[in-house]
Amino acid sequence: MNPRSSALREASIGEQTELVAEIASHFSSEEYLTAVQSTKDGIPTIWIEKHRLRETLRFVKSKIPRPFPMLFDLSATDERLRRHHEGLPISAFTVFYHLFSFDRNQSLRIKVPLSGEDLSLPSIVDLWPNADWYERETYDMFGIQFDGHPFLRRLLMPSWWNGHPLRKDHPSRGTEMGQFQLPPEKLVMTQEALQFKPEDWGLSRTHQDPDFDYMFINLGPAHTGTHGVLRLVAQLAGEEIVNIVPDIGFHHRSQEKIAERQTWHTFIPYTDRVDYLQGVLNEMPYCLAVERLADIEVPQRAQVIRVMMSEFYRLASHLVWYGTFAQDIGALSPVFYMFNDRERILAIAEAICGGRMHPNWLRIGGVARDLPIGWDQLVQQFVDWFPNRLDEYERLVMDNPIFKARTVGIGGLSLEDAIAWGATGPMLRACGLPWDLRKTRPYSGYDQFDFDVPVATNGDCYGRGVVHVLEMRQSLRIIRQCLDSMPSGHYKSLNPLATPPMKEHTMHDIETLIHHFVGVSWGPVLPPGEAEVPTESSKGQTSYYLTSDGSQVSYRTRIRTPSFAHIQMVPFIVRGELLSDLLAVLGSVDYVLSDVDR
Amino acid sequence: MTGWRNGRLEGVRSIDGGDGSLTSVVGQSVLFAKLQDLLAWGRKNSLWPLNFGLSCCFVEMATSLTSVYDAARFGAEVVRGSPRQADVLVVSGTVFMKVAPVIRQLYEQMLEPRWVISMGSCSNSGGMFDAYSVVQGVDKFLPVDVYMPGCPPPPHAFMECLLLLQNMVGSERRPLSWWFGPQEVQKPIMPSMRDAKREERTRQREYPSIDVLPRTDILSPHFAGQPNGLSKDNS
Repeated sequence: MNPRSSALREASIGEQTELVAEIASHFSSEEYLTAVQSTKDGIPTIWIEKHRLRETLRFVKSKIPRPFPMLFDLSATDERLRRHHEGLPISAFTVFYHLFSFDRNQSLRIKVPLSGEDLSLPSIVDLWPNADWYERETYDMFGIQFDGHPFLRRLLMPSWWNGHPLRKDHPSRGTEMGQFQLPPEKLVMTQEALQFKPEDWGLSRTHQDPDFDYMFINLGPAHTGTHGVLRLVAQLAGEEIVNIVPDIGFHHRSQEKIAERQTWHTFIPYTDRVDYLQGVLNEMPYCLAVERLADIEVPQRAQVIRVMMSEFYRLASHLVWYGTFAQDIGALSPVFYMFNDRERILAIAEAICGGRMHPNWLRIGGVARDLPIGWDQLVQQFVDWFPNRLDEYERLVMDNPIFKARTVGIGGLSLEDAIAWGATGPMLRACGLPWDLRKTRPYSGYDQFDFDVPVATNGDCYGRGVVHVLEMRQSLRIIRQCLDSMPSGHYKSLNPLATPPMKEHTMHDIETLIHHFVGVSWGPVLPPGEAEVPTESSKGQTSYYLTSDGSQVSYRTRIRTPSFAHIQMVPFIVRGELLSDLLAVLGSVDYVLSDVDR
Repeated sequence: MTGWRNGRLEGVRSIDGGDGSLTSVVGQSVLFAKLQDLLAWGRKNSLWPLNFGLSCCFVEMATSLTSVYDAARFGAEVVRGSPRQADVLVVSGTVFMKVAPVIRQLYEQMLEPRWVISMGSCSNSGGMFDAYSVVQGVDKFLPVDVYMPGCPPPPHAFMECLLLLQNMVGSERRPLSWWFGPQEVQKPIMPSMRDAKREERTRQREYPSIDVLPRTDILSPHFAGQPNGLSKDNS
């Protein structure tokens, strides 16, 4: 049977088929789409040949009614060892493009198969500016060439690296690669690789004016203002920023490769460390995607516990942002107050989850254990305490005339640019679009809660601040609702794939005992398929695109993080501003280096 | 007898009044010490860390500088941006191959005497990140004085290790002159805390229930609640 027609028939919801038909009919050729894949997440997924890529993308970006203006994600999969690809085109490497339409509130995934010697694709940097880093990352990780890319070189790995890490034949473990040594000659070589030569980055040293030279200033990777190991090189004309070159990859922890060797269950602690400030908010998209793959229904109580802890961690993350942002501007005291309140949140998190920064709290199908007795008093104390503190912080920071002078009108961004660069979360809402996935595509029962989506208008540093600050009040509102109406019931699903199964039942029936044994010793085996559930984390949209080929480990895990997109925008935002504004912009953007490099 | 011994001030009694005699006044305000001890005491109580963070652990390190934990009590709150002014390099986080030469250079830019704390499992041994881009332990290219376990270690652990380092620095002997005395640095042997704490740990047989919640009154009387956990009303 023609795989395309069978897949078309399977595509579940009418709207998806409509979209696919809309694209197919525009090009009015029967064989235009190589295949239509049905995925667990319900995102319409079409396969096209690479010579049709650019025209298809151009069509869905601007010509289709209710277009897809945002490139949400772009990466690849090494398909060479995949066992289950029934009905899909033959491919050694598949590059996928994840687009998003705000008008339709819908995603679209376009896949391009590559095989043989010619691993190259046309670049789409001219269509979406944020494709730049995504293509470089794909080149770095898979060795896929993007023809027409202005600056195709390694992004995350150092320039002297051999091989492409996410290929299946690249070693995963550091211990497989021999002991690390740093003899003097290697030190010299690696230091030289870090030398900044403007010509290498396409920057000119000389101005048209012969008496004038650009100045280059290196910030990082060890710099107090970059919040971690981020390196930025600024090209300056006097004090004005002409251009900024970010150099990332100093925090590349190879999470995506590790996911290919950890079981579905034992990868959860790793997700905590993708963005180390927001704990449970990292586990949420991962667990939701796994549950989508395994068709697990999460009980209501577990959902509300998840929501409550998510909002606590959102507060904790925002407090760090609040304090460090103020500190970047020069206000030294707020950070001390805010870390005190963060300690209170972490104390609650520790009482409930057992961990401070890395709670490891969500499980496939629910949460690790039920809430401890007396949790409600802890939470009640906090929600009574915190609103006054927020008022005080607003007087201390947001109303401060110096703070305003440094942030109002600085680093402005228009809504069109924000969407074109893939901005999400507070970054996008600061430009005036009330787009919050908790509201627009509710997950984990967020539709049951009463909360608002705060927005700002100018998209400047102050606007981003306002959105963060107002969001904290909304988080508090959600926590209060969790406290008032925590449903009773199970804290974990009774589905056999929920890992580990409810311990109380293991000693009473053989079925649960077997599942418990298999889940703990071997790991749950998920049915083959693909799923991705974007969620609203503290910094923007985080999603885990999981591919299972029917084993106890993931075949490919793609982690889309907001900080990556946001750091990529920084040069665009700060061009023309003064050097001192760079730190205001960095502070307002709210990023974490582990979230950038993964 | 009052004086410094091994970097510690010994034999001092705090007397408020005294009898007003010369002996008493001098005893309260004048101390005799060897120059070596005095220097060691000074070094130990003003360990200035370098402001360099790698990952999650750095957030916990920064937390221990804030008011709840307050590393200023140990004279270690002066976080320096420049390696030239810093005494302690806290390798707080995952050591990546791409960043290893940077850490090495920062270490070399620090002036002697300098010390290294390896904070967290990643920096100790690679920890859970046995991955292609991660150096399996910072001691592959740096000498480490104190290893701090945890992922990430909480601020208390940071302060415990700071005290361990202080003890080490206090009892370290460094040459005072080019002309006489031993010219090398005499470092004490660091104790194995695993062995030191083993007996106490194996003695513990009973653990508090997970339903006994901690008090969250870190600072405020508003947060005081009931003593010894809030679970009593409910259980």
